[in-house]
Amino acid sequence: MSDVEIARAQDAYRPAKGFYDELFDDDGTPRPHAVALAAALAALGHEQLAAAGRRRDTIFVQQGITFDAAGEDGPTLERPFPLDLVPRILPASQWTHIKRGIAQRIRALNRFVDDVYHAREIVRAGIVPWRLVVSRSHFARAAHGIRPPGGVYCHVAGCDLVRDYDGSWKVLEDNVRTPSGISYVLENRVAMTRLVPALFADYRVRPVDHYPQLLLAALRAVAPTAEGEATVVVWTPGPLNSAYFEHAFLARQMGVELVEASDLVVRDDVVYMRTTHGLQRVHAVYRRLDDDFIDPLEFRADSVLGVPGLMRAYRAGTVALANAVGTGVADDKAIYHWVPDMIRFYLGEEPLLDNVRTYLMSDREAMEEALQRMDELVFKPTGESGGKGVFIGPATDPVELAGLADVIRRSPEKWIASVVACVARAREGATTVRDVISAEMWEAINTTYLRLRDGDLSRPVLSGPILLYQHVKERSALFWGLTARTMLRDEASAFLYAGGRIEAGDMVLRMLRVALPADDANSPDDGHAIALLQAVGGLQAYRRAVPAPAHAGPVARFLLFERNYPDSVAAAVDAVNGALRTADAQPRGSEPILRLSRLSADLEFRRSAEGDADLGVTCREVQRELGFVDADIAQRYFGGARAA
Amino acid sequence: MHFAIRFLTEYLYDAPVTDNLNALRVRPATTTSQRCDEFTVRIDPEARVGRHSDYFGTEVLEFGIVRPHTRLSIDARARVVTADQPDPPEAPWSGAETETYAEAAGEYLLPLADDPLSDTLDELVDAVRAESPLATLEGLCELIPERYAYRTGVTYVGSTVEEFLEAGAGVCQDYVHLGLIMLRRNGIAARYVSGYLWAAPEDGGDDSVEVETHAWLEALLPSENGRGEPMWVAADPTNRQLAGERHVKIGHGRHYADVPPIRGVYQGRAASKLDASVHMTRLNPQASARA
Repeated sequence: MSDVEIARAQDAYRPAKGFYDELFDDDGTPRPHAVALAAALAALGHEQLAAAGRRRDTIFVQQGITFDAAGEDGPTLERPFPLDLVPRILPASQWTHIKRGIAQRIRALNRFVDDVYHAREIVRAGIVPWRLVVSRSHFARAAHGIRPPGGVYCHVAGCDLVRDYDGSWKVLEDNVRTPSGISYVLENRVAMTRLVPALFADYRVRPVDHYPQLLLAALRAVAPTAEGEATVVVWTPGPLNSAYFEHAFLARQMGVELVEASDLVVRDDVVYMRTTHGLQRVHAVYRRLDDDFIDPLEFRADSVLGVPGLMRAYRAGTVALANAVGTGVADDKAIYHWVPDMIRFYLGEEPLLDNVRTYLMSDREAMEEALQRMDELVFKPTGESGGKGVFIGPATDPVELAGLADVIRRSPEKWIASVVACVARAREGATTVRDVISAEMWEAINTTYLRLRDGDLSRPVLSGPILLYQHVKERSALFWGLTARTMLRDEASAFLYAGGRIEAGDMVLRMLRVALPADDANSPDDGHAIALLQAVGGLQAYRRAVPAPAHAGPVARFLLFERNYPDSVAAAVDAVNGALRTADAQPRGSEPILRLSRLSADLEFRRSAEGDADLGVTCREVQRELGFVDADIAQRYFGGARAA
Repeated sequence: MHFAIRFLTEYLYDAPVTDNLNALRVRPATTTSQRCDEFTVRIDPEARVGRHSDYFGTEVLEFGIVRPHTRLSIDARARVVTADQPDPPEAPWSGAETETYAEAAGEYLLPLADDPLSDTLDELVDAVRAESPLATLEGLCELIPERYAYRTGVTYVGSTVEEFLEAGAGVCQDYVHLGLIMLRRNGIAARYVSGYLWAAPEDGGDDSVEVETHAWLEALLPSENGRGEPMWVAADPTNRQLAGERHVKIGHGRHYADVPPIRGVYQGRAASKLDASVHMTRLNPQASARA
């Protein structure tokens, strides 16, 4: 039951018949290990538990601990992860049994994968038919004959367990390709300890937060190099992947780089990572892509997520991939049927954990029997994962049509929509770099976005959007402040800063071009000039710095040339230059840095030149040069990638 | 027969490309009917060439060129000795229904993911079935070229069998893909073969008229008395006959994609122009031994 339902129904709670209840035995008394929990729940009460649930949802949404799903209100949205605040308690003795059973199972699966791509002993012994193995959709012919470092194939495995009605644990399915979800485990534990500490008070709970260290140690252990020297990376398909949050999270927790395919290159059968200091060799890759996409030379030729030549390096033994290529042959639903036999064959042991009774539809007799009892069984396609295509007999109703429709947010004025769109894009951008920004920075952007997304924008539109813009401006300032205070001063922050300064400079130039009268820069009409200064927040600074009244000409010169004003174009150019010099190991050879130095000198020259007549031309030319700088940066540091 | 084979491929790029990685499957295999005596490959720009045998036993040559270049040339030469394949076994259909046969057949009996459903196909599958597996194989080599014209430019390397059926014409690769489905659906395991074919010129000279790699198939036929091992028998539907000593095999697979002569990826926004050719020359056995 969910925590809210329990909160409401606590007094009326009765364990359901025919199922094993985690907390209560058949006559309603708490099981021995659950006595303290039941008492703590009663003491907490409905209200507090429900309130904790609401706090949990808020926190998860703010921190982005969500997943995309369709809910009762209709379409697929980001939903807060459904963590049930009532914990399931596994006493140490039960856990030990599960741990041993799963470890045994993984060892057998690992041996199976090795066997299938080498000697095929289990096939020769007549236990598993070769035709079954070779027809699995994830059987990888490219993995044939390759033995990865350490002989480890299933570095990370996720086994789904189910509690049978007699209280015994059974394995429902194995996942040894790219199992996902550990970040939820870690975040859930943190959330639990913060939201309902009372439920933990009487238990000694084993920690889980050392998982990233375990993973890192495992990757280092299989890396084909001396242990202290191994370069480990997390390889993600990118921010559009629904588990991206986890990829970034693990990279951050392990203190290793998060890379995408464009960051990797294979030369002479060795894998390298592109850095601003040149190519750096990679020894172990924790990859979160399916086999089919990892190398367009061996697998899907159309995969832009892959690294050409990766299989060569893998075959040459110069890089460890976790998990190894071809493990999917072992977590196929049809192969599952043989896992107990694998344990007996490879380990000479009896399985400690049982499978769930399975009917293989390829077996005619089993199929007939299963079809007689469809409403009691669960049917699964064999090559999928994550519940895709699963049909649960007893729970299938006739399709319910959509309930409440989602409120469709219309932006009646184009400019409000574009502010919302900009913030949305900023959030998307922040998502892609979550591994290098601080949690505070992320939350600042995220809560701004959420407020715009979920708030009612109709009133600001009608009454004047000043307050809305004010809010967004303040949030932007907050973001930069947090950046200055919480972000590590490394390359990532240098580039972030450089990008922000280029945009600021460009923005001032645009506004100048609009605000500057085309004909006479010395016109006494200062209305526009003052408004311009106020828009950039430079009115007071101008008054302190410049004796002349705020006419178009002096204001334009101030905003262009005054290096002591941080948002002037000259200051922005210098700031970008400084930021790139921090990030670039070879500034003398850097085209954007050279260009910026020339631009800076040019601005200085124009400043001391007489007359304001050509300020409009200056603005245009400087803006164009800044555009070139932007392109140079993309070319030199980001492999020519164009900004979205 | 003795042959000298030269496989020459040139790529021209309209702008410099880098990290040009390629895998070649061009070396003649050594089998019971054929022996590769000599094989060299030269790459320009120069590159170190790695070799390994893939899952299907085909020799793969791999190389990569890192620095910018606008031209890639691959020059592979081989000397091969071939013999006619042994007489194919005559056996009844029951021979293809045993456990021994199923084990030997393995994945080559399995339908592929993109096998089409079509009435034309069903009709062909029924039409080709003859009184024995061997007769079916021989009949297939007549039936396909009867129904489908040999014409280049109608299909391309990525065409599906469905598209071929609709187009009504194609090249050797299409004939083979269709033939594989027809055999497999009749319970005969079959595999795609990539190789070279020496086609005798009209004037009786020694240079082949065939100028590209060729595709044919191998079908697994049950043994004559049902007790021995089934045998892979090569057949060439494009040329209406069982394969013989003029066929030089490179390797086999379930379909074309398992044995492409060249597969490559490069970095760069350039378009490439490909010029590929195969020169096959028949050699005098004495001359070949001395060379």
